[in-house]
Amino acid sequence: MADLVDSMLDLMRRLPPTRVEENVNSLVGMCPDYADDLLGSVDQPLKVLTDRATGKEYLACDYNRDGDSYRSPWSNEYDPPLEDGTVPSSKLRKLEITANEAFDTYREMYYEGGVSSVFLWDLDDGGFAGVVLLKKSLNPSSASEPSGSWDSIHVFEAAERGRQAHYKLTSTVMLQMVDRATSKTDNVFVGKEKDEKNEVKREGEVTLSGSMTRQTEQDWPLQEQTSHITNTGRMIEEMEIKMRNLLQEVYFGKTRDVVFDLRSLDDLEKARRQRELQKELVGFIKTR
Amino acid sequence: MEPEERIRAASNFLLQAPPGEINDVLNDVRNIVSDDEVLQSGVLSALREYNLAQFITAEVPGHQHQCIVSEAARLKVTEGEEGEEEETDRFWDPRSRTSFKFDHLSLEASDPQSVEPEPESEPFRAALEASTLTYLGAHFRSGVASVFSVPEKADQYIIQVVANKYNPANFWSGRWRSEYIIDFGARTITGKVLLNVHYYEQGNVQLETKHAISLAVPPTITATATSASKVLALIEVEESKYQESLGDTYQEMGEKTFKGLRRALPMTRSKLDWDKVLGYKLGAELTANKGAFGSS
Repeated sequence: MADLVDSMLDLMRRLPPTRVEENVNSLVGMCPDYADDLLGSVDQPLKVLTDRATGKEYLACDYNRDGDSYRSPWSNEYDPPLEDGTVPSSKLRKLEITANEAFDTYREMYYEGGVSSVFLWDLDDGGFAGVVLLKKSLNPSSASEPSGSWDSIHVFEAAERGRQAHYKLTSTVMLQMVDRATSKTDNVFVGKEKDEKNEVKREGEVTLSGSMTRQTEQDWPLQEQTSHITNTGRMIEEMEIKMRNLLQEVYFGKTRDVVFDLRSLDDLEKARRQRELQKELVGFIKTR
Repeated sequence: MEPEERIRAASNFLLQAPPGEINDVLNDVRNIVSDDEVLQSGVLSALREYNLAQFITAEVPGHQHQCIVSEAARLKVTEGEEGEEEETDRFWDPRSRTSFKFDHLSLEASDPQSVEPEPESEPFRAALEASTLTYLGAHFRSGVASVFSVPEKADQYIIQVVANKYNPANFWSGRWRSEYIIDFGARTITGKVLLNVHYYEQGNVQLETKHAISLAVPPTITATATSASKVLALIEVEESKYQESLGDTYQEMGEKTFKGLRRALPMTRSKLDWDKVLGYKLGAELTANKGAFGSS
């Protein structure tokens, strides 16, 4: 029934990104047997949790979940506590601690706020995999100010090949922006005095939301274990720069073009008549 | 999950379908529910609700134009005439004075019948329709408009406009809907503009906008044929103003919200030096360790 999962994923690619959580829950309710397939393949906005031991915020997703508990990258503890929760091997945990520090610096440099978390796990073939999560939200102080959120999910697999390492990276960025506007202007009627009745009230909301996913595979030199962090760091930084440009193009370019294609600001009829007149003039000059 | 609950969830998915993608969504839902009998009986009302809300268009049988299938276009059944039927799927196109049956799944119109317009409201409605079609041709490349008089309210008129662009080969689609209710009793014009754009090449990005407008009917406008073009002139100004303000919103979102979420480059204007990022942390750790050794 791979078919069924394909249909669920196709559906999620079409339905509004603002309602992804609600729709995933419905699908899980309809097909509980495929809950794991669905939760593992549909990216949902990251939840921000607070580490009870350190008071530091961290991000929750399917990769640091065990049952109903989430593991904090700062204390390595599950919340609600689990006695036998899955944790990385001690060697990998050491790398995870360093990676969390490094990407915390990266987060501060690019996001100037927000939360980051890195989770690593051992793979059966001896390699390891990981996820780098970054989230920033803009919470407006008033309803008329724009709000927004950015969620990055970078999942990678690392395979060591002597003094080289091969990386497979899948990156998803979820971006949402909402702008509410109200305005009142006077509707000026020709020849009439302005009064309280001739006012136009306008109220509106603009929501741009969605996600985009890209993949890359690269080989990098491996001098020591921490090289994995500098390697994936450079790959993720490059990918985020690329995806930020792409998002900018799609959000502010493509969707805007469609709007201005649906309705033209200029009078199409006038433009058509002008073109005809021009043709006529050209013909007139030629025949002379 | 109970069958009714599954149908409710399926209906909810259909109602969220992006412009021009209702069949794709229905196809997915069909696979997920995998019970055609239950589905067919259950989702018809969702398809109807979707079509009416989205201003789906129909080819008017026997005519060369399209009209909007919406709640305003729906014929109300007078009791006793067609039994106890609660909802009918007959709609009318005032422009051709035709009513037709509409199939909400195949989107086909059939069984045309002629409809006599209300003699009092028809002259202004027809004038409003002519002005609306001129306006439509001036600003919409592929728009459809319908203008209705309201059966029980002799002094109310409804203008509806829809424009669709579907481009599945390039993974995008878009829909513009606008509606204006002109009420000469209350002397108000209330309008709304709704926009949906879906871009889905290696992703799923959607624009959704809602815009409401309300104003008083200017004293120079009355329900006479000569006023019709003035109503449309007002609508043209409002819609162009809205479109311009949308352009400003795009710019503000790009300059403030987008930049506020993530910088293009750090303050240093250069990418991170990852060896230093690591070295700094490791250095800090070494110093801390040294301190620990020193005190022991």
